Amino acid sequence: MPQTPVMDRWIRETVNRHLPWSVHVDLTYRCNERCIHCYLDHEDHGEMSTAEIKNVLSQLAESGTLFLTFSGGEIFLRQDIFELIEFARDLHFDVSLKTNALLIDAERARRLRDLAVRKIQVSIYSADPEVHDAITKVRGSLARTLAAIRFLQAQGLLVKIACPLMKQNLTAYRNVQALAQELGVPYVMDLTITPKMDGDMSLLQLRNSAAELLPVLQDPVLNPHSCSRDAAPSAALPTGSAVSSGIESSAYEDIPCSAGHNSCYISPYGDVYPCVQMPLATGNVRQQPFLEIWNHSPEMSRVRAVRESQLPVCSTCSIRQYCERCPGLAQMEGGDLLGAYERACEMAELKARMAGIAEPISALHLQKLPQPDFCALQSQADPASSSRPIASVRG
Amino acid sequence: MSECVVRNPRLAWREVDGEMIIISPDGQVHELNETATLVWKHAAGDKGFEEIADEMAAEYDVTLEEARADLAELLVALEHKQLLLVGSSRKG
Repeated sequence: MPQTPVMDRWIRETVNRHLPWSVHVDLTYRCNERCIHCYLDHEDHGEMSTAEIKNVLSQLAESGTLFLTFSGGEIFLRQDIFELIEFARDLHFDVSLKTNALLIDAERARRLRDLAVRKIQVSIYSADPEVHDAITKVRGSLARTLAAIRFLQAQGLLVKIACPLMKQNLTAYRNVQALAQELGVPYVMDLTITPKMDGDMSLLQLRNSAAELLPVLQDPVLNPHSCSRDAAPSAALPTGSAVSSGIESSAYEDIPCSAGHNSCYISPYGDVYPCVQMPLATGNVRQQPFLEIWNHSPEMSRVRAVRESQLPVCSTCSIRQYCERCPGLAQMEGGDLLGAYERACEMAELKARMAGIAEPISALHLQKLPQPDFCALQSQADPASSSRPIASVRG
Repeated sequence: MSECVVRNPRLAWREVDGEMIIISPDGQVHELNETATLVWKHAAGDKGFEEIADEMAAEYDVTLEEARADLAELLVALEHKQLLLVGSSRKG
């Protein structure tokens, strides 16, 4: 999502000055759905109280945070959700919500409208209830979510549909797109399936392979420009991450993303991470003031020091421009914040191929190719070389 | 009290080092200059046109007539953008 010059300037300012401009707060990990791809542990291990969250929000407002996202878990399972939204709005935050909307009725939609919540993101996995409900594991969930979206729209609220694509709903993108058009709401197709926050990698088996995604990304219904070799790959494709803001800015040219620069994540237990997809513990707001963590955590500083141009493998990659490497996933999947990881390389190669590059290969995959035996090659070309003293070569 | 001047309660906003940024419900981004920021800060609903003009006159060392003229012009622009509500008594 390109920004206006005004917003771009503010993003640059906040990145340069390390202001926590945008903060994602998960209010709970409890949920009334059991989505098969969810990365959370839904047990309550001691969520922050209403007073604790209000204290954090006050600290964020004083720190300069403007954009606040409440997410979970399912946020409407918290009895104090409206109290927290109202408190946040009294502090003049721009408030967005992420919810499955199962608990939103006409009255709650009206209250959200009265509180001037600006955006509500709802996940829809398919327009087919059999498929959607099989992913959420709640029978009737699609019908309830769609009814809630209509309640929200009736109040004039901005709703956005996110559609995480996995093996179970690979072909659903068309009917979700049609549904979004019918409802008149924007949508984003999210190809990201992440490991669980505890490091469990089992969810990755739900991911579609690059080969399976190729026909999706080439589908002219999604991307009218994909048939043109001159068009930038995915130029009009509504893909992105359901967890990120999707905000693009020239301020991010040599840094991987906003994480730790002008945005961060706070868990229901008060843990502060650079991003929900980057579970590096930097501190806990129950034990330290937020700004102390934000300004002085060594882990936060380590994340801030990363420059794309200095990544040991990725900076040498010839198809870097097609890559959407996520440093958090590099840490979780590859074990190295600075490293390359398989999924990003596969997707970059896929997009490079779509752009017309013959046999694209990422730097990581290039490293894994069998290396030719240069000594043997040299011997074949120059039989005398192996017996030539090094001194004579230099001389 | 003179006509009430109050911030649109549906906006989000933050002041960073004296600069004011405002987000409209439709996602539009607005920046305020120094004078508009001063008016914005006084537009909490407890001051009217005359009181804010007084504040401007004191802050910028201009006559009350000059402050009134500048404020009237500013209010038209800010009301047009739906950033301020004039004549309302709602708290912002």
